Amino acid sequence: MRASAYLALVALAAASLLPAGSATAQDSYKIGVTAAMTGPAAATQAPVIEMLRIYVDRLNAKGGINGHQVDLLIEDDQAEPSKAAANATKLVRQEGVILLINSSFSSTYGPVIAEAKRGNVPLWFAGAVCPKETHPPKADPLLFCSTGFDFSVDIPVAVKAIKDMAKEPAKLALVGIPVPISRIGIDGAEKLAASLGMQAVDKEFVPPATADYTPFATKIKGADANWGFAYAPWPAEAKTFEALRRLGWTGQYLAYGHIQAEDELTRIADGGFEIFMANSLFQDDLPVHKQIRDAAAAGKYSFPPTYGTEGWLSGRILEQILTKTGWPASAEKVTASMSSLNLDTQGIRGGPLVWTADNHFRTKQSYRFYRYDPDKKSIVRMRDWLTVDVTD
Amino acid sequence: MSPQLIANIVVLAAIYALVSAGYVLVYRVSHVLNLAHGELMMIGAYILVATAGLFSGNPILALLLAAVSGLVMGLVVYAVLMRWLTGEAVLAAVLVTIALGILLRGLSILIWTTQQFYPAAIFGWRNPPVHILPGVQISVASLAIVALTIIVYAALFLFLQFTAWGVRMRAAGQNPLLAEQRGIRLHAVYALAWGLSTFTASLAGMLLSLDSGVESTMATIGLKAFPAALVGGLDSLFGALVGALIVAAAEIAAIQFVNPLLSDVVPFLVLLLVLAVRPWGLFGSREQLDRV
Repeated sequence: MRASAYLALVALAAASLLPAGSATAQDSYKIGVTAAMTGPAAATQAPVIEMLRIYVDRLNAKGGINGHQVDLLIEDDQAEPSKAAANATKLVRQEGVILLINSSFSSTYGPVIAEAKRGNVPLWFAGAVCPKETHPPKADPLLFCSTGFDFSVDIPVAVKAIKDMAKEPAKLALVGIPVPISRIGIDGAEKLAASLGMQAVDKEFVPPATADYTPFATKIKGADANWGFAYAPWPAEAKTFEALRRLGWTGQYLAYGHIQAEDELTRIADGGFEIFMANSLFQDDLPVHKQIRDAAAAGKYSFPPTYGTEGWLSGRILEQILTKTGWPASAEKVTASMSSLNLDTQGIRGGPLVWTADNHFRTKQSYRFYRYDPDKKSIVRMRDWLTVDVTD
Repeated sequence: MSPQLIANIVVLAAIYALVSAGYVLVYRVSHVLNLAHGELMMIGAYILVATAGLFSGNPILALLLAAVSGLVMGLVVYAVLMRWLTGEAVLAAVLVTIALGILLRGLSILIWTTQQFYPAAIFGWRNPPVHILPGVQISVASLAIVALTIIVYAALFLFLQFTAWGVRMRAAGQNPLLAEQRGIRLHAVYALAWGLSTFTASLAGMLLSLDSGVESTMATIGLKAFPAALVGGLDSLFGALVGALIVAAAEIAAIQFVNPLLSDVVPFLVLLLVLAVRPWGLFGSREQLDRV
């Protein structure tokens, strides 16, 4: 009696460790998401995942992909590594997902990558920093990234653009926040600026949730900078600029245009605040922007429709991956499908998004530059797609 | 030190002091450390976003409604939650405030998402610089924070010293048992303390949101003001003012002269230093020792 009870317990425990998919026949594509839906990274990540969900809901309403529904399992990690680890474990081991998506701070990547590799499940970074392992010439077979920004490509483009735009010798102030990607980007910008003959006169790392940005702006103004370059989450980029203007600073400022940029440029309404970004703005008025706007309205998107571009693009990527994967699906088939992605971005990006066997990042990266024009009272494009090759 | 740096210190100290006033009020009267104070401040700012949306053409009405809502929020928190913990261990009450903070953070995301809101933009207000001295500029919103902090502290001082309810509050804080025996209704006094505490927190949240917007991480600023209250002494309003000034000066000196990366750490370094020498804070009351 005691032995049979013990065996039953062992069997039960073993069964609980098996992926759900192996216990029951799956009739849907199970996709797992661990994302910062709340917490310090949520302002940037939650809009991406919510639009991805809306896209998937629309797909499912039309009958799914290859006749099968897409089951998007979203878990909130609050940008905390321990929660991301628990989410990844649950999604891979219990839910048996065939693809894992991470949209959170880079500090969550370690445990999520480890879990994906243990389960041999492809891991896609959507709307979050691209890890180096996705880059050519030898991308990790399981890691992929579609996010618009990436410091290794963004920083050289931005610093060279400042060099081109500066009418007098640029005295550059650099603005970041104390997280690894922003710090690496800003430190890289400092070195590159020096190599291009520009002087980096100040470098500020502003902590998140700062009560007053004026002390940082005071230092930048005191350093006599005539150009500012910010590579940080949007609030730090924009609020530092606004604090500078309140101190009477008259210089020019370039920042990466995150998802909030379009609405924010209009609110700030300053011709000296320029942005560069990999995604086109709604002011370009492409058919895809109308699609996103309609989907946001129909899906009751919690954010302004302009926040939805990256999430919409993620939805289109997912659709193409699963369409090529076919049915029945497996993690191995999804990985193979992802390794030969060639997606028409419909003008959201400056060209197609291409993933190859050795390049899980993109083969080309393009940027548009925008600013607010006070005379026209609208956002204007300063420079059309500037394309750079991504080789290593 | 340049006049601009001094102006920066005054503005930051005003922010911390305005937030700290709420910590001190509740602690002074009920000996409860309200660890949901930052979240209550954030909710105050979000309420302004709501009232601004409703009455964008009438900013004064929107501001008044939001401020009154702050007061009512404190009364409700006391009536619904804290009242039932009167007479229980203080630790239980503190733990309840932690739970309240988590609940408010979750609720705020459910209602307002993680988007950044700018009530000033809803009103169509700009936040231009003001030249207060030659070469010294601060924003209009920052000037309002400094002015309001002075008004709030002066009003609280007068209220606590010269009004019947103020005397009752001080009495309840010193000896609740004796105060009750003398006919002071403790629940009314505690409720008033919570109401005033969230009222001042809401004012801080509203002004901060007018200056630089509100989003779900604003509660962290409440935590950054906590060292100011502790440095000054948790039961001293004057101490909170001095503590805010010390913490702000240390933070800005770190940004300007050492390394901006230290600005987050310095308030807590100051706190550690002061607590090591004077655990009850610079102007706080030494408490009865209940442990060795």
